Amino acid sequence: MIETITATAAEAFPLDVVVIDDEEMFGEGCRQTLEMGGYRSAVARDGLRGLDLVRAARPSVVLLDLKMPGMDGIEVLSRLSEAEPGIVPIVVTGHGTVDSAVESMKGGAFDFLTKPFEPEKLLESVRRGMSLSALRKAKESAKEKPVDAAPATVQDKHNLLLRGLDVLGEAYSLGLDKRELIDELSYLEAEAKYHAESLGHIKKKERAILDIRHDLQQADAIMEKYDFRKGALIQVLLDVQEKLRWLPRHILHWVGARLNVSAREIYTIANFYEAFSLEPRGRHCVQVCDGTACHVRGSSELLSRFSVMLGLEPGTTDSRQEFTLETVHCMGCCALAPVAQIDNQYYHDPSKKKLEKIIETFANEENIPCQA
Amino acid sequence: MPSVRTAADLADLRTETLAAQKAKPVWITVCTGTGCCAYGAEGLADGFESEIDKRGLGRQVGLRRTGCHGFCERGPLVVIEPKGICYLHAQAKDIPTIMDKTVLGDEVVTRLLYLDEETGKRVRTAAEIPFYKHQKRILLENNVLIEATSILDYIGVGGYSALAKALNQMTPDAVIQEVKRANLRGRGGAGFSAGVKWETTRNASGAPKYAIVNGDEGDPGAYMDRSLLEGNPHSVLEGLIIGAYAMGATEGFIYVRQEYPLARKHAQMAIDRAREYGFLGANILGSGFDFDVTIHRGAGAFVSGESSALVNAIEGHVGEPRPKYTHLSEKGLWGKPTCLNNVETWANVPFIVNRGADWFRSMGTANSKGTKIFSLVGKVKNSGLVEVPMGITLRDIIFKIGGGLPAGKKFKGVQTGGPSGGVLPEALLDLPVDFDELDKVGSMMGSGGMIVMDEDTCMVDMARYYVNFLAHESCGKCVPCREGLRQMLTILDRIAGGQGREGDIELLEELSEFMEMASLCALGKSAPNPVRSSIRYFRHEYEAHIREKRCPAGACSALIQYEIDQTKCSHPPCGACARACAVEAIQKIDTGAYWVLQEKCIKCGSCYTACPDKFHAVRKAPVAWPAWQFPSTPVRTEITV
Repeated sequence: MIETITATAAEAFPLDVVVIDDEEMFGEGCRQTLEMGGYRSAVARDGLRGLDLVRAARPSVVLLDLKMPGMDGIEVLSRLSEAEPGIVPIVVTGHGTVDSAVESMKGGAFDFLTKPFEPEKLLESVRRGMSLSALRKAKESAKEKPVDAAPATVQDKHNLLLRGLDVLGEAYSLGLDKRELIDELSYLEAEAKYHAESLGHIKKKERAILDIRHDLQQADAIMEKYDFRKGALIQVLLDVQEKLRWLPRHILHWVGARLNVSAREIYTIANFYEAFSLEPRGRHCVQVCDGTACHVRGSSELLSRFSVMLGLEPGTTDSRQEFTLETVHCMGCCALAPVAQIDNQYYHDPSKKKLEKIIETFANEENIPCQA
Repeated sequence: MPSVRTAADLADLRTETLAAQKAKPVWITVCTGTGCCAYGAEGLADGFESEIDKRGLGRQVGLRRTGCHGFCERGPLVVIEPKGICYLHAQAKDIPTIMDKTVLGDEVVTRLLYLDEETGKRVRTAAEIPFYKHQKRILLENNVLIEATSILDYIGVGGYSALAKALNQMTPDAVIQEVKRANLRGRGGAGFSAGVKWETTRNASGAPKYAIVNGDEGDPGAYMDRSLLEGNPHSVLEGLIIGAYAMGATEGFIYVRQEYPLARKHAQMAIDRAREYGFLGANILGSGFDFDVTIHRGAGAFVSGESSALVNAIEGHVGEPRPKYTHLSEKGLWGKPTCLNNVETWANVPFIVNRGADWFRSMGTANSKGTKIFSLVGKVKNSGLVEVPMGITLRDIIFKIGGGLPAGKKFKGVQTGGPSGGVLPEALLDLPVDFDELDKVGSMMGSGGMIVMDEDTCMVDMARYYVNFLAHESCGKCVPCREGLRQMLTILDRIAGGQGREGDIELLEELSEFMEMASLCALGKSAPNPVRSSIRYFRHEYEAHIREKRCPAGACSALIQYEIDQTKCSHPPCGACARACAVEAIQKIDTGAYWVLQEKCIKCGSCYTACPDKFHAVRKAPVAWPAWQFPSTPVRTEITV
């Protein structure tokens, strides 16, 4: 029996997707598929309860059945677009006629899936829905912004101008060109925008700029440790990787410029060595050893167990950047084979039950830097 | 901080250290190597420490956290000195008992002692355990006796006396001659004479000269370098300083894998301490010789362990090998003469200088002298690090030291030399292990990985495993290695997936030959070894995969399925398999019996392990293939890109 999550419980667990469907098995199937794709979701059995759940959990995407007892899908659809403009509805139905499709799309559905469908198709559609919703929500918050943020006073502006003059004066005294400085600044601003987009969860411009400023400052401190030597490039990147858990684009360009290494070379190095990641990694790093000793003692089986439990393919990170699952070549504890390491803890061939417990502990744990 | 300026200072320091150690009559030694730590050895050591404090025994009882003892399978290991009582699988709850009985009293805790299965007796000391008894531990011996981070412990066991001897009593040439006469061959795999390398570097023109420790232990399944760097970093450092003196190098590097954080930490501590005590820096031991060492972290690339690739990596470039027209000893790091040896090679040097070349030559075979550390792992009872004299037979290592295979399984093969080596069948078990003998039969010594395989290991799967590893690690610079491995992987994937064709085996052989001839560096040249040797000795397994679509070992997941043998299953069924299943592929049907839904099964093997041994009802069965999947006429394989 699948229980509908009550409004209070949903508040405690913000959801990505709400499934509204009266067919119990189908709803549960969708939920499991979504879970494997890294989305948090819950199922409601009818339209009314579905709307309650949506209001409480504020998901990004709603999967909606058309034929339901009581309130039918089209009505839910119309109420949805009124109440929550940021939410993207996707219609799923066993009765895929042209009429119903047209009606759904008119009612504001983003996509129309006919049962039965492949899990990949569902995930793909949800993924696109999620990004659309993010866009809509960002637009909403941009509209609200003038109300939220205190307006800049004349005093604020004049203070900024004074600081700007300081910078300008300093630039001239160093013999720097104003134009060049402005170009570089706009380039960094563009990088900040790219960074925010690639991470997906940074919504505000100022936040993105402060973020990359912080990163660049850290990179500088690291490079200073190595006297800005060109030969220390790999050591610098290793330190950055350890601090940030990945090598974002702005870091690669910044480090390259400061150490006088071409972009081509720095990308070759970042791609060549296993320790570097060009994509964000999870807070927790699950490494399943695939050294020879582990391989002969069944590491592939262990890996598939981890993969199912985490809902992650090896080499990927979940959308909320909680876990990264990957294989490594030998951790040097072959006597424990097959072995897995999560953060800095070793586990010898954990069973399904043990795995559940382990993953739960880590999911609830505070931030521990993940060693690449 | 006492700075050691002369050999006499060193001798004094040693006497003092030994006296300080003697003041405590009992020492508790806890192995905190990575293996034991994974079993919770750190917590155990902490427990001992607080117990000693609690009982106010700080003056009588000492505690040492040492590096790897080797017997990782039975960790955490605790040894109580001076009686040498060795406890296995010691847990925190055993601490009070051990303190009462063994540390304070004169008894032993019998249940923690090693049980010799043959005699049924429990033995008290490590030396009596067959795993240790048949070894000849020289490099690893001190791992047990010293705390890795303590330079005084190292000096206590005679550390840095070889350095004093070399600097004060020997000329650089004399050191080189001694190492050459000892015939110390590189422990990293190729087995090139270390003395000859040093001599070439010494004679090469150009300054400064560099000496490098290669600690990029990339062979998956080998961890002897890690254990030496973690457990006894000073021995490696001392060897390096002596070598640098002999070849006239003024700067040194220790290249450590990024995956070995503890080894890096201990090596760094060793360098810092050595500098404080005056074993590094200017005018070492008053000899006028200057030398200093830096650590370089690897960033994870198997090919970077190749000497010229490693040099590239230290320079801050991509770790790709250089063409070998000029040797590193003439033109290496930053174009200067450079000598590079493996961790284990360097660790041998102090012993050769101290005990002489004749002593070293007394161990081993005609052309391979001394001892070698192997990491004996896989399907063997006593996994761990073993140090044996060269020339010992594979059978002695696997059966006498390793205790044979677990659970009465039958021996199938042993892989030596890692991904560049080969797999050897039972018929070759009496082969003496040395550089040349292993080469002859299509394998190699390598860095010392020794992976034992039993009847459940599939040789096609193993070949595929190694080729997959190498295809991933190939730097891609030369075509034969990059494309050859990729094609090999395609073919092996096909065979393991039940889609093998007639002619595939021959095609693999052809590719092997070609790669060996045309690849740029040793990675590509030796990459076909696992495939070649497995075809040579286990051709029938390849044929079973191709012709019968059957994996004789039951390891290739595409060719097997898990089934429940209803005649063996308990009545009523215990359901352990269904509870263990991660994807709910095992379901109860109306009759109450459990059934595996093949379309849901991800073949993770959870049910297989979960089924209680007394029933053994879950079995691996060959997949029932539809007849049309068998090609009726032999197909000539085309290479597909």
